[in-house]
Amino acid sequence: MSSVSYAPAHGARVRRLVPETGAQAAIWAVVLVCVLAPVLPLVYASVQSKPIYAAGRVFTLAPYRQLFTDPAFWTAALNTLEFAAITTASSVVLGGSFAVLCSRTDVYGRRAYSRLFIAPIVLPPLGVILGWNALYGPGGYAHDFVNQTLHIPLNLTSVPGMAVLGTAVAVPVVFLVCQATLSGADSSLENAARSTGAPPLSVLGRITVPMLRPALLNAGLLVFTLSIESLGIPLVLGSPQGHDFIASYLFNTWSSAFTPDPPVVSAGATVLLACACALLLLRSKLLGDQARFVSVGGRSGPAGGVQLGTWLRWVLGAILGVYLLATAFAPIAALALSSVVSELTPLIAPWHLLTLGNWWEIAHGTFAHSILNTVEIAVVGGLLTTLVVALATAVAQRSRFRLRRSLPFMLLFPRAIPGIIIGIGFFWTFLLVNPPGGALRNSIWGIMLALSIRSITLAYFVMSSAFGTVSESMDHAARAAGASWWTSTTRIAFPILKPALYASFILLFISILNDYDPALFLVTPGHEIMGVTMLDAEQQGTIGPVAALAMVQVAITILAIAVGARLFAAQARGKRNA
Amino acid sequence: MPEITVERLSKSFGQEQALKNISFSVHDKEFLTLLGPSGCGKTTTLMSIAGFQRPDEGLISCGDRTFFDRAAKVYLKAEDRNLGMVFQSYAIWPHLTVFGNVAFPLRIRRMKKDALRRRVLETLDLVEMGDYARRYPHELSGGQQQRVALARALVYAPAVLLLDEPFSNLDAKLRERARTWLKHLQAELGLTTLFVTHDQDEALSLSDRIVVMDEGSVLQIGTPEDIYRRPATRFVAEFLGHCNILPARVATATSSGTTGLVLHGNGKPITLSGGDRAAGDEVQLAVRPEAVELTSDESASGENTYRAELRSVSFLGDHYVYELGIDGLALTVTDTRLFVGPAVTVRIPPSACRVLPS
Ligand SMILES: Nc1ncnc2c1ncn2[C@@H]1O[C@H](COP(=O)(O)OP(=O)(O)OP(=O)(O)O)[C@@H](O)[C@H]1O
Ligand SMILES: [Mg+2]
Repeated sequence: MSSVSYAPAHGARVRRLVPETGAQAAIWAVVLVCVLAPVLPLVYASVQSKPIYAAGRVFTLAPYRQLFTDPAFWTAALNTLEFAAITTASSVVLGGSFAVLCSRTDVYGRRAYSRLFIAPIVLPPLGVILGWNALYGPGGYAHDFVNQTLHIPLNLTSVPGMAVLGTAVAVPVVFLVCQATLSGADSSLENAARSTGAPPLSVLGRITVPMLRPALLNAGLLVFTLSIESLGIPLVLGSPQGHDFIASYLFNTWSSAFTPDPPVVSAGATVLLACACALLLLRSKLLGDQARFVSVGGRSGPAGGVQLGTWLRWVLGAILGVYLLATAFAPIAALALSSVVSELTPLIAPWHLLTLGNWWEIAHGTFAHSILNTVEIAVVGGLLTTLVVALATAVAQRSRFRLRRSLPFMLLFPRAIPGIIIGIGFFWTFLLVNPPGGALRNSIWGIMLALSIRSITLAYFVMSSAFGTVSESMDHAARAAGASWWTSTTRIAFPILKPALYASFILLFISILNDYDPALFLVTPGHEIMGVTMLDAEQQGTIGPVAALAMVQVAITILAIAVGARLFAAQARGKRNA
Repeated sequence: MPEITVERLSKSFGQEQALKNISFSVHDKEFLTLLGPSGCGKTTTLMSIAGFQRPDEGLISCGDRTFFDRAAKVYLKAEDRNLGMVFQSYAIWPHLTVFGNVAFPLRIRRMKKDALRRRVLETLDLVEMGDYARRYPHELSGGQQQRVALARALVYAPAVLLLDEPFSNLDAKLRERARTWLKHLQAELGLTTLFVTHDQDEALSLSDRIVVMDEGSVLQIGTPEDIYRRPATRFVAEFLGHCNILPARVATATSSGTTGLVLHGNGKPITLSGGDRAAGDEVQLAVRPEAVELTSDESASGENTYRAELRSVSFLGDHYVYELGIDGLALTVTDTRLFVGPAVTVRIPPSACRVLPS
């Protein structure tokens, strides 16, 4: 052993650049403001006699009275309930069965299906709606085939028809939740039942499905919450035929009212917000905190499971394949097709109508501009949100800050706020708080703020489970060595969590890229984003360029996922070779 | 001057009292060990000193600096306590090299580049890891990681070194080597060290003094020999090595420095040195297995000498363990020599019996 002089390292005390509690309080305050900003002014506006920029306002409940006496509101509410009920019931049944089939039986192609069924989650929702419309809508490629050849009466513009699309969109969510539960569940429970002599199918019915009950309840409530705030589906499909949902009713009232921005819309939005919050509370009451942290991905279950027999294996496998084809791949293909034809019609073979005109059109002017705006918003918003949420999670999980326990709730709350409420809410906030409201309103950054806040919860899911995998002693070791909270968070925790930070950024980028609900209320000329441009153009009957834009969204999404996978691989390689 | 003083420390988690009125101090350059079974509150005590756990009551100070004083509402943050800490899991940062890990505390202290480099390499040499400076943690063995953790805790010359079961992830052989090596280093550098373990061998071989804990309380504080030879309670006697516990009743009061008792197990008389017992007192005697003398001489007789039935023998390399029966009273004895049954003669020296408070 060498002997060295062992003098204290340094006389000087460690200098603290950032005061600990100050930094933590600032982060907490930022999150609080972000969460409350879209909500408080909205509630305030809903009890005013005139829009809050107008003079001579008084407190009144008249907006609510007006809302509740409008028969159109009640029709829209009933439509919404019907839509949400059908969507929830059928997506829970389908998603649950698919998940059980893929993780507990030897159905043909189970491994591939386990991935493919989740994939549609990242598809741009508006693109999916437009694709369905191009395929199954009135005048769509497959409309006659489905209705006349197959004798399935599918009218996409009716409420049950929209619910079919709603189901297709919701099934991946249910599938994901159930699959996570199933892959975490101990399959020896089922093996135990089989060893007592129970036939495989009765094991599925008596052990597996009951085990899945909490997951189904969780997924059902989630789908129901998402369904009652649907805006894109009715706007594209039902509204033109007079089948409104609450969200589209509010949007149409907003954009076609005699007095702009009427308080009655704020009242309706407040009612919708109350419903969504009640559902969130109900969900956390029924499930406890755990269920909200459903982990994404997961191992595929133990090989084998229930043996279906050759015949059933193939039939069920084929049914799964046809389902995927009909609900996800064919609509996207139809969308791609309609982006390269001059006219959407089943009557003329598409190769006679081929054109690059649509693509040429979106490469210029407003269309191109809105693509750039969207990407800009998604990059900056993804970065900022990831950073803020990462810091906020560090305060919540790795600090002694007094109010840290309120952070998880604040970070989960944006999930419960319907998109149109964030839109209307920020509209009022920007008017009330000026500056910086005016500047935000007249640029793309106001839209970025609204879309980012909507994605906070997603980032929190990623960051909180990532922090959970890094032992707290990593931070403790840094602090024992003299590092402040800020230093140990930024120089120890974040570098270790780099893969999660990347993952969060990619997910947020995709989510912001494809989101549009709030932007409908915030958009100002020259500051459009893709979703808004597409909806606008679609309502004016422009089909081709809209399809091309939707394909651009799909392409950017796939590109982002590919880059994300690359980053992951590079990280893993770096770790190994370093 | 006592370096670390812990006074009347208490801590509850909900209903459960993890620490009940703990007091002890670690002297300058001393190696003090907290020893106790799992869940007795060792880590909680260490984390309270390090500043990662906030106690409910009590006082912790280091030299003239107060770390925690409930009464005076003083609570010094962990990063301001200038302690070196080695975690049970090592907590080596995976994104930094060995050099980066050890350099971190110095970078925090804004040490100049050259001095920093010299200091880090010096410390790595000290723990015999100089050749591994460029490696990443996942390219090191458990023992090497443990030494990096130690280097990281030593590099800024903290006032006190805190170690939480640093050897528990090592295999038996390596653990023994690491032990000797740590003891050397500690003695050479004169480090004030607070060490936590549930391994009695580790505690006995390393410590200047041992604090024995159970269920959140301190049972005994003393040198290893003190605690081994003069356990204060039955728990301490049994926790440190094997111990025969023999219930007995005092037959004759103290005379000429010895006391006569009757063993409950078989009604035989037994004498022990020391006294201050009244006739009729019920006591428990603690007798270490290696303190009992064995002979094969059948005719041996005298004080505390009995014939015993040899029930079983097991061979443990450097000694044998005998399970004996003295007219029904079970006794475990160790000896380096081999005896073959069916009977042996046993002598329990009067000085080997220690009376435990009941
Ligand atoms: N964060 C906590 N919340 C609740 N109870 C805790 C917490 N930390 C420790 N305890 C309880 O306090 C008691 C003492 O725990 P501690 O970790 O100090 O034990 P230990 O002596 O270090 O044990 P081991 O040798 O197993 O590490 C235990 O009963 C434990 O269950
Ligand atoms: Mg412990």
